[in-house]
Amino acid sequence: MSEHEPTPTPELVTVKIDGKEHQLPKGKNLLEALLDLGEDISYFCYHPGLSVAASCRQCLVGIRGSMVPSCQTTVSDGLELESQSPTVLDARRQMLEFTLVNHPVDCVICDKAGECTLQRHYMDWDGKPSEIDHEKVEKPKKVDVGREIVLDAERCILCSRCVRFCQEIAESPDLVFEYRGNHETLTTAPDRRLDNSYSLNTVDICPVGALTDKDFRFKIRVWELYATRSVCNGCAAGCDTEVHHRDGRIYRMVPPKDWDMNLNWMCDDGRRTYKSVAAQRLTRPLVDGEPAELDAALAAIKERLEPLLAQDRGAIGVVLGADASNEDNFMAARMAYDFLEAGHVYLADSPDNGLGDDILRRDDPNPNRAGARGCARGDLGSSEDLARDLADHKLEALYVVGDRLDLSDETLGQLRGLKLVVVQASEPSRLTDKAHVVLPAAKWAEVHGTITRTSERAKRDLSASRFGRMRPAVEPPGMARPHWDWLKRVGAVLGVTVEFESAHAVFQEMKKQVPFFAEAQWGGKIPTVMLRFAGRRG
Amino acid sequence: MPARTKVVTVKRGLWENLYLPEIVRGLGVTLKHFFINTLGPKSKRQIVTIDYPDVVRELPERYRGVHRLNTREDGSVRCTACMMCATICPANCIHIEAGERENPASRDIEKFPQVFEIDELVCVVCGLCVEACPCDAIRMDTHVHMPPVEHRKDAVLEKPELMSRGTKSIAVDGGAGPDWRDKYTDLGSLTQIYRPDHIERDRERPARR
Repeated sequence: MSEHEPTPTPELVTVKIDGKEHQLPKGKNLLEALLDLGEDISYFCYHPGLSVAASCRQCLVGIRGSMVPSCQTTVSDGLELESQSPTVLDARRQMLEFTLVNHPVDCVICDKAGECTLQRHYMDWDGKPSEIDHEKVEKPKKVDVGREIVLDAERCILCSRCVRFCQEIAESPDLVFEYRGNHETLTTAPDRRLDNSYSLNTVDICPVGALTDKDFRFKIRVWELYATRSVCNGCAAGCDTEVHHRDGRIYRMVPPKDWDMNLNWMCDDGRRTYKSVAAQRLTRPLVDGEPAELDAALAAIKERLEPLLAQDRGAIGVVLGADASNEDNFMAARMAYDFLEAGHVYLADSPDNGLGDDILRRDDPNPNRAGARGCARGDLGSSEDLARDLADHKLEALYVVGDRLDLSDETLGQLRGLKLVVVQASEPSRLTDKAHVVLPAAKWAEVHGTITRTSERAKRDLSASRFGRMRPAVEPPGMARPHWDWLKRVGAVLGVTVEFESAHAVFQEMKKQVPFFAEAQWGGKIPTVMLRFAGRRG
Repeated sequence: MPARTKVVTVKRGLWENLYLPEIVRGLGVTLKHFFINTLGPKSKRQIVTIDYPDVVRELPERYRGVHRLNTREDGSVRCTACMMCATICPANCIHIEAGERENPASRDIEKFPQVFEIDELVCVVCGLCVEACPCDAIRMDTHVHMPPVEHRKDAVLEKPELMSRGTKSIAVDGGAGPDWRDKYTDLGSLTQIYRPDHIERDRERPARR
C-alpha cells in the first residue's frame, strides 16, 4: 500500500541460492524475490497486500543451518540460503503435515477445492497419508459469521490472513482468534460480525475453505467455471474483475489474481452486481408497448422521426447514459450532434449515494458518468433540466440511451405528449412502459467496450489505467444488442451509413475524434478460459 | 508395407462342378448339427445361445451394469455432490445439482445432491465415475443390463431409481479414524453385494424347454 511515487532503482546485491549466485534488489522481501525468480516455494499466511505474520512457517529456507521463514527475511548482501535442498524440503513437508493435523480434509464438499492452497501444496509436496494418529479437534462448523459469509472453523489453518485483512484493509477488526494451541479457533470479535463492506475478500484470500461465500456456496465446483476478464460496473471506481460463468449463467465475480488497479480487492456490493445481468430483461423490441420484430421497430422510428427532422431540430432531445460504455455514448453523441443536430443533450445518471470510502468505492454509483461527459461537446443537461424542458413543451422527440433515467410520475405523463420517445434499455421500467419504441440493450457483462474510471483515488492515483475494458462473458438475451449497434442500425434506416463492424472499430474512431479518449487503450486480448485449464489457482 | 497375398487355386472336379450334389452335402452338415443339438444326447450338444431373458448368463464379478447410488446408515444417499463423476465422465451423461441440508446435526455432511440424473443412453459404460467417486456412492456392480426403453427420456435415471438398487456401503464417512486397521480386519465380510431378484429366481428355475 505504498504511495504512488517514482521509486528509486533498488541497489542490486548478490545472493547465493542453493549455491547459485543471483542479483536481487536489496531490502526486498525474500519470499517475493524467490517467487520472482521462479523458485517453487509454498506459503499460506503471506499475502502481498497484507502485513507479514510468518505464522504458517511454510516458506522456510535454510540460512546458516537454521530454518527461517523467507517472508520475514529481507534480501541483504552476501546472503546464502538453501531453498530446494532435501533438508529444507523435508522441513516444509513436516510443516505441511503439522498444518493438516486438525484439518478435516473434506475437500469433497468444500467450495474451495480446486483453488485451495492447502490442496495444491499437499499434491505438490507431500501426497502421503498422515502419520499423526490422534483424534482431530472438533471445532464449530457452518458458523454464520456475517451477512455474506459462513465459517467452518475446522478447515481454518490459522494463517490470520482474514484477521489482518479486516484490520488493515477494511479497517474493521471483525475477526479474532480465541483459545490457544491445538484449540485455537477463528471467530468473530465480541459484539461484532463480519459485516464490513469488503468482507468477501476474506473468502478470496483464505488459503483453505474456512470462509465461504453464502451466495456461491454449493452452487458449482470452481473447475467447471469459465473466467472472463471485465470491469465491475457497480460504481465509478470500475475495478478490474473476473466474471466466472458457465452455460450463459454468471456464478460470481472475483478480483483478478494478478496485481492490478484494485489491489486484488473488490467490495461486496460490486460482487453482487452480476445478479442484475440475469434479472428480468427486455428481450424484444417494443412498439407502442407491443412486441415487434427488429425491422418493424426500426421502421416505426423512421416513420415518426423523419417528419420531425424536416422541421426545427431544436425540439429533439438525446439522453446519454452514465451506465453505457464510452463507445455507446460516443455513438449517441455523434448521432445527437452530427446527424440529428439535437437541440438538447442530457445525461441520465443516478445521484451520488454517499457509500464511497477511501478504499475502493466511490460515491458515484454510475460506472461511466465521466465517459459520457467526455463524449459530450458542451454541457449536458441533467434529468431535472429534462423535466423542466418537458414541462415547458420544448421537446417533441426524445432518444434515451441506458437505464438510468429516473423521472417523476408527472414528467413520465408528459412523455406521452411527445411525438416519439425511443428508449434503449436492458430492463423494463416505468420509462419503457411510456416509450413509443423500446430497443432491448445488452448489459455490461455481454458486450465489448471501455468505461472511464474516476481517476482520483484516495490511496493512490492510477491515471495509467483510467479506462477499463469490458469483455463479454455471456450472450445477451433474446434480441438484445449493444447500444452502439442499435444506434448504428437506427442511423442506417435514417440514411446515415456508419461502417462500424465492432465495438473496437467504434473505439478507434472515438480515440481519433475525441481528445478526452486520446490516451485510452483497448487492452489486450484476454481469452475466456475454463478454470480447470487456467493454470494453478490457490 | 504392401499386404502379402498368396494365391491358392482350388481344384474342382466334375462332381463339384455339377453344383447340386455339393449343395445336398452342405445341407447334410447343417441338418446333422440341427439334430444333434435338438434331439441328440445332452453331452454332445454344442449350442451357445441361451433363452434370454428366461435364462440369464452369469456375468463376471466386475461386470459394469446399470449405475446405483449407495446409502448411509440412516438411508440417505452417500453422494455429496462433489462432481468428481460428472467431471471425469467422458460422455457428460451425469447431471448433478447440489443442495444444502436444512438443519444438519453438527457432524452431518451439509451437502447432498438435490438432482442426480444419469442418461444411460449417453453413458459409454467406462466405469470412470466409479473410480472417481471418493465416497463409495456411485457403483456399477448391479449386474443389470440397461433395459430397453420406449422413449429416450425413460433412459434418464433419476435419484430414486438409482437409489432403489443402493445398499449400505461399508465405507465410513470421513474415514474410519486412525485405528481403522484394527477395527476392520476382515474387509471381505463387510461387503454387501447387490443381487437383482430375477437373477436369484432364474438360478433356481430350470431353463425352459
